[in-house]
Amino acid sequence: MSLQKQTPSDFLKQIIRRPVVVKINSRIDYRGSWLAQNGYINIALESTEEYVNGPLKNKYGDAFIQGKYVTTQKRRM
Amino acid sequence: MNASSASFFVTRLCSVMDKLVDKCIGSRIHIVMKSDKEIVGTLLGFDDFVNMVLEDVTEFEITPEGRRITKLDQILLNGNNITMLVPGGEGPEV
Repeated sequence: MSLQKQTPSDFLKQIIRRPVVVKINSRIDYRGSWLAQNGYINIALESTEEYVNGPLKNKYGDAFIQGKYVTTQKRRM
Repeated sequence: MNASSASFFVTRLCSVMDKLVDKCIGSRIHIVMKSDKEIVGTLLGFDDFVNMVLEDVTEFEITPEGRRITKLDQILLNGNNITMLVPGGEGPEV
């Protein structure tokens, strides 16, 4: 497990094109490939799936998530 | 308080906070959110907005049953919803 100092911008450079999970609130998850984000952590994802408790809607193609509501983004192995 | 003294105060506060959080890098930290959620993880880094990069994270939902979700690897936690940071904390008792 790598333990070096890593700021949020370093983290975001590492996850480009990687599969990630973006949590909106306690109930909703978005899983997709990270494309881009801006200063407000508005996020673009590719081939996104939406999980509400269990998988509900499936989106393919691009998704845009407003940064105001994002809780966590995690890197998925 | 006029504009220049207010901004001086904010600058001082930010530098004090930076030093506090900087001391926590590499150790466990417990984060309480505005909602009924708490996060415990190892602090890797943060930025000016207190967005935080954490590793080996456990997420606690504070419900009557006290649900827990464990996530390995790394997360970026949005600083918008953070209420409190507890260095070295273990999280809520479950």
